[in-house]
Amino acid sequence: MRSQRFFNLLTLLILVVLTAGFLIYTKVAASAYIQRVVVGLAISIILVVSLNLINGMTGVFSLGQIGFMAIGAYTAAILTLPLSMKEVNLPDLPSWLAQVELSFLPATLIAGLLAVIVAFLVGLSLMRLSGPYVSVATLGFLVIVQVILVNWDKMTRGSRTFSGVPPFTTLWWAWGWTILTIYIGWRIARSMYGRRMIAVRDNQIAAKSLGINVMRSRLLAYCLSAFFTGVAGSLWAHFIMSFSPKSFYFVETFSVITMLVIGGMGSVSGSILGAVLITVLSEILRNAERGIAIGPIDIPPVYGASQILMSIIFILVIVFRPKGLLGGREIDFNRFWSWLLPKRGEKAIVPGKEVS
Amino acid sequence: MKRHSLLTIIMLAVLILSACAPAATEAPPAQPVKIGVIYNLTGGMASLDVPSANGAKLAAKEINAAGGVLGRQLELVVYDGKTDAATIGNAATQLVESDKVIAMMGFSDTDMTLAAAPIAAKAGIVFVTSGATSPKLPEHVPDYLFMSCFGDNVQAAAAAEYSFNDLKAKSAYLLIDKGMEYTLLLGQYFKERFTELGGQIALEDTYQTGDKDFSAQITKLKGLGTVPDIIFISAGPDDVGVIVKQFRDAGMDKPIVGGDGYDTPLLVEIAGPGAENTYFTTHSLMDPDLGTDAVKKFITAYQAEYNTPPENAFAGLGYDTVKLLADAIKRAGSDDPKAILEALKSTKGFPGITGSITFPPGSRIPQKGVTMILVKDGKFTLAAEIVPEKVPAP
Repeated sequence: MRSQRFFNLLTLLILVVLTAGFLIYTKVAASAYIQRVVVGLAISIILVVSLNLINGMTGVFSLGQIGFMAIGAYTAAILTLPLSMKEVNLPDLPSWLAQVELSFLPATLIAGLLAVIVAFLVGLSLMRLSGPYVSVATLGFLVIVQVILVNWDKMTRGSRTFSGVPPFTTLWWAWGWTILTIYIGWRIARSMYGRRMIAVRDNQIAAKSLGINVMRSRLLAYCLSAFFTGVAGSLWAHFIMSFSPKSFYFVETFSVITMLVIGGMGSVSGSILGAVLITVLSEILRNAERGIAIGPIDIPPVYGASQILMSIIFILVIVFRPKGLLGGREIDFNRFWSWLLPKRGEKAIVPGKEVS
Repeated sequence: MKRHSLLTIIMLAVLILSACAPAATEAPPAQPVKIGVIYNLTGGMASLDVPSANGAKLAAKEINAAGGVLGRQLELVVYDGKTDAATIGNAATQLVESDKVIAMMGFSDTDMTLAAAPIAAKAGIVFVTSGATSPKLPEHVPDYLFMSCFGDNVQAAAAAEYSFNDLKAKSAYLLIDKGMEYTLLLGQYFKERFTELGGQIALEDTYQTGDKDFSAQITKLKGLGTVPDIIFISAGPDDVGVIVKQFRDAGMDKPIVGGDGYDTPLLVEIAGPGAENTYFTTHSLMDPDLGTDAVKKFITAYQAEYNTPPENAFAGLGYDTVKLLADAIKRAGSDDPKAILEALKSTKGFPGITGSITFPPGSRIPQKGVTMILVKDGKFTLAAEIVPEKVPAP
């Protein structure tokens, strides 16, 4: 008899093989340019999936997550910066930091943990708010982080460019963290904690009356989200290698939120879809706007056309699918299996029913 | 069925059309010499980078009309950086990998330059920034990163010497935008050179990029009792108009001095008559009547090509950078990136429209004169051409 568990494992196996195949192919056969895009995509996926944890799952629409990315990026970069570079770039570091040069993994973990600590402290007050108030308050958090980065010259070089970060972010690091983030995001959504978050999102009063601690659910989501956003910040810092506080501000915030909204809030697969779609589409359009020849017709370069086209696509998506492409649901592999292998006399597997 | 036939027709039409297309033009005598150009043609930096890119394209057109370089055509491969570090990294990688350029240029901002230059350096290709003026920039990317504009230490020293010697200023008020590396460094270099000359900084204050209300700073300045001889405001192009206007409206009529961030039409547009008696350093005076002969010729050519006079001095910097690279390629005698690097290093007295460019031994920042501009009757006029006597260390 076809068991649910068997198909879940089969789905997982196929996804793992596909991802591994894709990555190995990218590493071996693809150009350095494509590899860069794939690494950038990984970081975007981490950002969007972790944003989904708070914005999608608990309904707390945070506009300040990029602040955690900044914390992660600066923390990890300060920790991994080679000692010789530290003397030149950060001469005023406190002595206990000036002698530290960590490798990538511990630096990234510390970056994530520091983001969690900040998230916890800030969240204690912010997570009591709801609706537009929490959005404005989290936006305030983003501004505060920005102002601190600009003024804390000793640690951050102020508004000057932070450069000399070693290029540690390889395809494997980026995708390793991405897969971990997706896995955790996916498991949380299906766990008791995730169900509580969704209950809080859908009806706060009903959730409360069932004995769910609203504050605790939100704080958990906020801290988890901050951890992975901080990790993404570290990956980004070691990918771009030079940045300044303004790299982590409104532009980045809105780009990540767009990916989430287009893909569909509340869905892990939607988050991934949004990140993939926007990254791939904007790269294709960016290359196309430089002028293309279709047969005999030469289209001259129109710079900026890619942004206009992307905006039109966003508007169309929001008009026709206001809840995003996946509308908050997950991609349902069971439906695929029952479509592929319909068995006469036996009821097709009920879509949506899963064993966790 | 119907859809299929429609598709077939379209495909047939495309096929026929492509068959009708003129046969591939005769193979050119040689492959063009390719220079990679990345500017932020869209996004926050576009007001400086679009004129730069236009200037660059104009230079390439002139070079090709005069026979190109090494007997081959010069081709600029232009990418839009979109004021986004990740996009710039991607574009730089494409330039190295698929376009196989032999040199790269671009940008008017430190962050953006440092997102692209290390990728060029890794591939052994020079990167020349046309408008990023931080003198600390080249040391971030050893060997391969050059500037074709002067450093902020040079223009700040010029402003300090002009204030002290010509404006007879003994004391100065200093206002610095803390939000930008450019304004921060410019202010520090000015202070260093001005006090070295024997001037006094009466009061130092700061603000943040984008601030709209300067009444707090003005009140503090008024609280001094005696007004300093000059007001040095280190500001970016988006803020200068507002600041100058508010200081003038508050009755501060001493000369205001600043850097090349003032080189924007916004200064006179926003500050109006308040902009009078404002001095600033920049790369060259882009004026069809008052500029040098080379500048006049450039303005006419730019006007003919783009139907607008050069928006600011950055157009001239983009133009000069392409010609500087072409000059290096000619002297190298080949399109080998290593030979170009050596030739570029030994550039001596290259006549650019933004000043003559010489790279001193071991330095990748050119020795270049500074143009001091005075706003008079709502117009930029030439106040002086300065080569500072002493320049603060970067």
